[in-house]
Amino acid sequence: MTIVTRLGLGALALTFASAALPAWAQTKIEFFFPVPVEGKLAREMTRLVKVYNESQKDVEVTAVYTGGYDDTKLKAQAAAKAGKPPSVVLMSANFNVDLKLSGDIISLEPMLKADETTRDDYLKDFWPALHANAMVDGELYGVPFHNSTPLLYYNVEHFKEAGLDPTKPPHTWAELVDAAKKLTKGDRYGFLMPAGYDYLGWLMEALSMSNGGRYFNEEYSGEVYYDQPSMLGAARFVEDLIFKHKVMPQGVTEAGGVSTSFFAGKASMVLLSTGSLSFIRENMKQAYDVAFVPKNVRNAVPIGGASLVMFAGQSEDSKKAGWKFIKWLTTPETLGGWSRFTGYFAPRKSAYDKPEMKEFIAKNPDAKVALDQLPYAKPWFATYQTVAVRKALEDEIQAMMNGKKKADQAVKDAQKKADELMRPYVEQTSLKLP
Amino acid sequence: MKTMRLRKHLSASLLAALLSAVAFLWATPFLWTLVASFRPESAGSADMASLLPDRHPTLENFRNALESGTFGIYYANTLIVVAGVLAVQCVTVSLAGYAFARLRFPGRDFLFYAFLLQLMLVPPALIVPNLRTVVDLGLYDTLPGVMAPYFASAFGTFLMRQTFLALPRDFEEAAAIDGAPWWAIIWYVLLPMAKPGLVAFAIVSITAHWNEFLWPLMVINSPSNQTLTIGLASFAMGAEGGKEWGVLAAGTLLVMAPLAVAFVAFQRRFVDSFVFSGVKG
Repeated sequence: MTIVTRLGLGALALTFASAALPAWAQTKIEFFFPVPVEGKLAREMTRLVKVYNESQKDVEVTAVYTGGYDDTKLKAQAAAKAGKPPSVVLMSANFNVDLKLSGDIISLEPMLKADETTRDDYLKDFWPALHANAMVDGELYGVPFHNSTPLLYYNVEHFKEAGLDPTKPPHTWAELVDAAKKLTKGDRYGFLMPAGYDYLGWLMEALSMSNGGRYFNEEYSGEVYYDQPSMLGAARFVEDLIFKHKVMPQGVTEAGGVSTSFFAGKASMVLLSTGSLSFIRENMKQAYDVAFVPKNVRNAVPIGGASLVMFAGQSEDSKKAGWKFIKWLTTPETLGGWSRFTGYFAPRKSAYDKPEMKEFIAKNPDAKVALDQLPYAKPWFATYQTVAVRKALEDEIQAMMNGKKKADQAVKDAQKKADELMRPYVEQTSLKLP
Repeated sequence: MKTMRLRKHLSASLLAALLSAVAFLWATPFLWTLVASFRPESAGSADMASLLPDRHPTLENFRNALESGTFGIYYANTLIVVAGVLAVQCVTVSLAGYAFARLRFPGRDFLFYAFLLQLMLVPPALIVPNLRTVVDLGLYDTLPGVMAPYFASAFGTFLMRQTFLALPRDFEEAAAIDGAPWWAIIWYVLLPMAKPGLVAFAIVSITAHWNEFLWPLMVINSPSNQTLTIGLASFAMGAEGGKEWGVLAAGTLLVMAPLAVAFVAFQRRFVDSFVFSGVKG
């Protein structure tokens, strides 16, 4: 054991020694980031941070890879409670409300003030759909870094084979059902969507929004609309795809399984994130194309992705350094490069004015469709206890997809569970009467 | 006579067939991992789920997996953590086990049951308090910080207590008559006889800490201190994208290989240590 401890301490001493070399007034900060798509991205992020560290001498950033989105939240909050808050964290864009309510993240308004700019001025360059998730109670809490919307991917060869026109993908739910029926053949399904945690909630939001709904109250953190006609219709639609039209397999398929089925030609149309664009482009052998998420009432999709937030409890120097790093990470150049690398869209409009970006869009028309869908994008659901409230719906929809529950009952039960979860907040706010 | 032998033969082969079937079922995930890790471009191939090896095996997946992290450092760190935890645990659990099994002091049984209560706690509930302690001790972002909460083990203490209780007191009394102090009795007399208990505990401890993800993720920040499981997670945790099954399989294989090899190599020893341990009721 002594040898082991010594080894450990030796390694530690070595780390300190090597880190302490540039010893002038340099601020060291930690940056936590999850890996949202695949291992390659972790390497690219580490490379970006290295470029930043070498580009200036005031701030040294340690990039810490922190697992999935949920692990990142858990780790950052635990570290903050233990007195070691990270400076900057790349956090799932819909965790901001929750993190603000728990006092973990800080308002970025003072930084804007120090930079002598206003919130409106600062946000002007970001796509309007992203503003709501960046703000909590009217103040800026997160800077969008990479974003996505759901997208319909379809196999062009299957379309031709089934006598469908691949230049006219389904625009409405009726057309989707019609096409899916024609595409379903043997062990091939016409339609498939991921139904694992996180993804399912997001896609149900997309479907209920396409059905005219809102999913949650953007202005108030204690309300969701699970048992309203828009969500009920979306749930019945999914139920029908499986049990009535039989164009989607029964049960829950995770995102990895959905993309694999799409590559293998076992699913002709899939709903996946625009964040998967690069991955699909690299791996899909057959011709494919992308289209908007089909609508029943109107075109509408939620945004997804992640924002940069700053944690409470850090020193003023650390805050300044963290904000400097955030500003560097969100320049149109860095955002554009990251967008081309990952497939996520860049949150800044000006990123698309750069020549490299224009060239990229011209070469990859599928990236253009994702961009064209942006005007129809709406905020991602974010409530008190976001994750638990989302799971309340997901558990019920999964039961429905497994044939254990009917859509009507599922949304009712989901609403009941969600209301219970949000009750403490509701009682402290809307129901707290004089 | 002949029919009986035939029946015996038949039932033996039936049993063998049944056992092979069960063994095959159990081994399917491992077989798939092995096959998939050598399959070229498995993300796009239609036979992703097939158990049949590809005719053109490739090492590309292993190259990709190895490139996505510094596996040398991950292996070293995991080894340090696993060995460090086990070394300290062996000392603490045998001493604590001895105390609960042999020493007489007021409140012993109450203390023992209170100790066992630890087993009922869900580890995630302890993350924040443990992390606070680790920060206070100055061990945040160090390997000793990863090890510290495991230095005492309720399960190990329980196991060693039961092992010591099963040993006859005659040996110790003989040693005591010859003037051996308490530590010599433990070291020269009890521990050699308690080896099966220690080995059983070691297996549990090693696999648990080798595979642990959440706690090292919480404590470690510096890439140079990361362990294998965290390295593996970087390609196992796609939230919005697809899965590169081949790379995932290769990475999984890289992480579990040392343990699997060690287990196969020492299997005989494990069994032996249970059989020939000088413990006779």
